[in-house]
Amino acid sequence: MRSIAPDSRPANHQERHVNPSSSLWTGESPPRLRASRHVRSGTLRFPPFRPESPLAAEHEPVNLAATGRLYSLTTIHPNPKSGQAAFVLGYVDLPGPVRIFGRVRGEGIRVGSPCQVVPDPQFGYVFQVLPS
Amino acid sequence: MEDTTYLRGVGMTRFGRHAGVLAPELAQQAIFAALADARLEPKDVQAVYCANVFGGMILGQLVVRDLGLAGIPVYNVENACASGATAVHLARHALQARVYDNVLVVGVEQLTQLGGGTIPLQRNDDKTDLYASAGMVLPAVYAMRATRFLHEGRGTREDLAAVAVKNRRHGALNEHAQQRSEVTLDEVLGSRPVADPLTLLQCCPSQVDGAAALVLGRKPGGQRPVKVLASVVQSGVLEAGDDDILDAEITARAARLAYEQAGVGPADVGVVELHDAFTIAELLYYEALGLAGKGEAAALLRSGQTRIGGRVPVNPSGGLLAKGHPLGATGVAQMVEVAWQLQGRAGARQAGAPRIGLTQCTGGGIAGVDHAASSVHLLGV
Repeated sequence: MRSIAPDSRPANHQERHVNPSSSLWTGESPPRLRASRHVRSGTLRFPPFRPESPLAAEHEPVNLAATGRLYSLTTIHPNPKSGQAAFVLGYVDLPGPVRIFGRVRGEGIRVGSPCQVVPDPQFGYVFQVLPS
Repeated sequence: MEDTTYLRGVGMTRFGRHAGVLAPELAQQAIFAALADARLEPKDVQAVYCANVFGGMILGQLVVRDLGLAGIPVYNVENACASGATAVHLARHALQARVYDNVLVVGVEQLTQLGGGTIPLQRNDDKTDLYASAGMVLPAVYAMRATRFLHEGRGTREDLAAVAVKNRRHGALNEHAQQRSEVTLDEVLGSRPVADPLTLLQCCPSQVDGAAALVLGRKPGGQRPVKVLASVVQSGVLEAGDDDILDAEITARAARLAYEQAGVGPADVGVVELHDAFTIAELLYYEALGLAGKGEAAALLRSGQTRIGGRVPVNPSGGLLAKGHPLGATGVAQMVEVAWQLQGRAGARQAGAPRIGLTQCTGGGIAGVDHAASSVHLLGV
């Protein structure tokens, strides 16, 4: 029996430029993740709407908080045949509220861990667990 | 009632590897079984609904080209893992509108041709593409639900594993199931970790082919008539930033609408086929379908009431975990199983004498919603 194993294909959004890193991050220091906020409801949307989206006009750009808490997580164990190391994925809740998904790095990762969103050349951003 | 839709005949192939068989051949096996069950000929149906996800365009026309159907309408239906149930839903609309008297619904999938591994997400979307790039796959989505389930103290790792033990026990009794062997709790917990806390034996096998078919009609016929009491398809609602990922919102909503449509409640349901793509899913759907109260799913499982022989057997076919999950065929096959159960034709896995059965399938991993689609049907005799 073959398993439903995690997707072993390389990340390809860099090649496709669906979400180029420049659209995810502000240029300030330290950088902040960009998002879209609906002008009437205030609902936050991450990633921000692309300029090509007809919905972009109903939203205004906002910057997200840099830290939040891990809502849930899983450690993915790629099929041993792939030779890939295990990695952690999770949802982080940021003030807003807005929940975003990504890779989680650090020690002592668990539900509720405080996390900082930091830039990453491969994935655009990752969550770095902070000492609690 | 004039607008009642009947399952006039049902049929399915064994789920498993069908090496060397083409999708149209596989689908035709199920079609001929359903037509024979209905004691009808191909010429007796006036339209065909073909559910499939990865088989390519106009598969339905390939399936029926050589059946002598004289150019009747063929509709190809895709709604991820809910494709088969969606096809039934649409077919019922046409019957209720009296456009047709009898139609054929067939679901077919050959996942072995994808080469294994998890089902790829639909990435034609900025948000889903971003998340998929980081590693989002359906096992991860369900695993994060399982992590949260454990964190909130709503059950244990053993409870998760016990779902696989139950459904593999059921599947061992089903000649149509891919997995015909029982497994122990230790074997499930000790199998290779895939996405913590889910282990390999808590994930439905990805290498599976299969087809299932129904003949639906406006008049009863064939075996003991099975009526469609409710048919609901819902789509995912954009989740709030503080969404509860354990509420299975889309399925709870579909179930509520289905119960309203049929004028029955969860306590009236005597058999269930639900979407146990991963063990955690069955526990969450107990609550979403109203079989258990909030936080009471693990207690329901432990009580034994959802085993064959219990008050409301869940997945007597073995479910997706044991029977297998050929996407387009799954929703149709769930109804085939429930029809057999309602008619007392389920053999070694007959789950008492239920009068009302429920099927539920959900699917489509796109970022920002619980699931893309969910469908609930209630069938009755």
